[in-house]
Amino acid sequence: MDKATKPIPIVNPWARPFWDAAREGRLIIQKCKECNKNIFYPRIACPYCFSDGLEWVEASGKGTIYSFTVVENNAPSAFIQDMPYVVAIVKLEEGVQMLSNIVGCDTRELKCDTPVEVTFEKLNDEFTLPKFRPVKD
Amino acid sequence: MSLLKGKVAIVGIGEVPTGRFPETAAIYHAIESAKLAIRDAGIHKDEIDFCMPTASLFSPQFNTELVTCRVVEELGLKNCKKNCQVFSGGSSSSCGLQMAGSLITSGVARTVLFVHSDRLGTGVTAQGGIDLFSTAGISAEWEVPFGQHYSSIAALSTTRYKYETGCSDEQLASVCVSNRKWAEMNPNAFFRKPLTIEEVMASKMLSTPLRAKMSNMLFDGGAAFILTSAERAKDLPNRPVYILGESGVVTHFVYSQEPDVSRFGWAKAAKEAFEEADLTPKDVDVAEIYDSYPIYQLIGFEELGFCERGEGGEMFMKGDTWPGGKIPTTTDGGMLSKGHIGAGGAVSLLVEAARQLMGKAGKRQVEGAKIAVETATGGTYMDAQVTILGTEIP
Repeated sequence: MDKATKPIPIVNPWARPFWDAAREGRLIIQKCKECNKNIFYPRIACPYCFSDGLEWVEASGKGTIYSFTVVENNAPSAFIQDMPYVVAIVKLEEGVQMLSNIVGCDTRELKCDTPVEVTFEKLNDEFTLPKFRPVKD
Repeated sequence: MSLLKGKVAIVGIGEVPTGRFPETAAIYHAIESAKLAIRDAGIHKDEIDFCMPTASLFSPQFNTELVTCRVVEELGLKNCKKNCQVFSGGSSSSCGLQMAGSLITSGVARTVLFVHSDRLGTGVTAQGGIDLFSTAGISAEWEVPFGQHYSSIAALSTTRYKYETGCSDEQLASVCVSNRKWAEMNPNAFFRKPLTIEEVMASKMLSTPLRAKMSNMLFDGGAAFILTSAERAKDLPNRPVYILGESGVVTHFVYSQEPDVSRFGWAKAAKEAFEEADLTPKDVDVAEIYDSYPIYQLIGFEELGFCERGEGGEMFMKGDTWPGGKIPTTTDGGMLSKGHIGAGGAVSLLVEAARQLMGKAGKRQVEGAKIAVETATGGTYMDAQVTILGTEIP
């Protein structure tokens, strides 16, 4: 079977700064200047107080695994070559959640609520994906 | 609280077998189901003034035919005023029922035909199905690039649920076994041979801890129902199946944004629906719980209030949900055993709820069933829809 091309993120214009930062190895999220809530994924208005006053802030890149799974079979075509791979919901210290992959780990040792930190994996010249790895003691 | 309580009733149901029918056109599943529903209702076809086909996923061209009045023409529904698609993915049953009910109570329509058909079993390849469900309803910006798909989604909910409750894989497998016991008695179900926990546990691992036999499979099929006013229903041959309560909660689009992937909005939706019906889970005779994967059936069962959180697995294992059990659950075999036909998964469950209350469920009839609950959810479990149905208006 041909190796299917990896899907690249279909970017909404207002999220462009997130992907530009990721390409530079930085994880940024939005923050509402009115209600001070952290926001991910990027929105056109604050989903809490509906203010237009959103700014970008640096995230710590630290969080915990809210949940995870090791994909061993029946992956989408573009990911068959990657099996087994880990899909996880990561809860950042800033309180927001994002989907990512856990890399650089022994999958048998993964647990919910394990501390993780961001690492960046280049997809192509335009896109770099924020991924996570367990924090070493 | 809506104005639907006791005002509208399902008066006819139709369904074709779920399976793989490469020689059968998708439209057949729609019009045969609709024909059966019209005949079952005991009405003349020309009483139908509103046709509501929900969406088919396997082919945009076929779906356009549904949108552009093909069902109306094929069946010769000459007094049909409107043909309008209502679609909310897997929750189309509940949303369609409530839309149809609203049209009837407002006077816009008198008799609505709701119909679903799809050909996901033979209209797409196996890998095509996986690929379709690695993009359909999954965020192209925030999840698709990480290899997300419906197995990994179900696995993420399962992992967290196990972590929080201590539920075992065998208990999850017992949900599949429970549904199979019902499917064994359902001539429209695809999987009808007995299933054991051991067989589920021996099946191929997909996304940990989710195994192949804990996953639904995609098939061809269709189902339909007729909804009309409670007043008109009194003159028709079937025992009317009234809407007694309904509610819903929309929680997310991007699955990873859901703050609680092992609860969702079920508890709130159920509380509101039961309050409207002035009933409690103890009053329910039959529970048709959405089951695309065992985790979602288990969460729905618990959050609706049939037991405390974390206690459902044991109930599925010891037989409380089986034929003859305390709370017969997902009695058509569900998507796990009857087979997943897209939006029709929950349409089947709604039709089965009506069938049980009409007393027409054959070998799997729950004796004396008067109150049923049906749940449905679409996309990546984006909403929690709960409908309470009954044969009498309390």
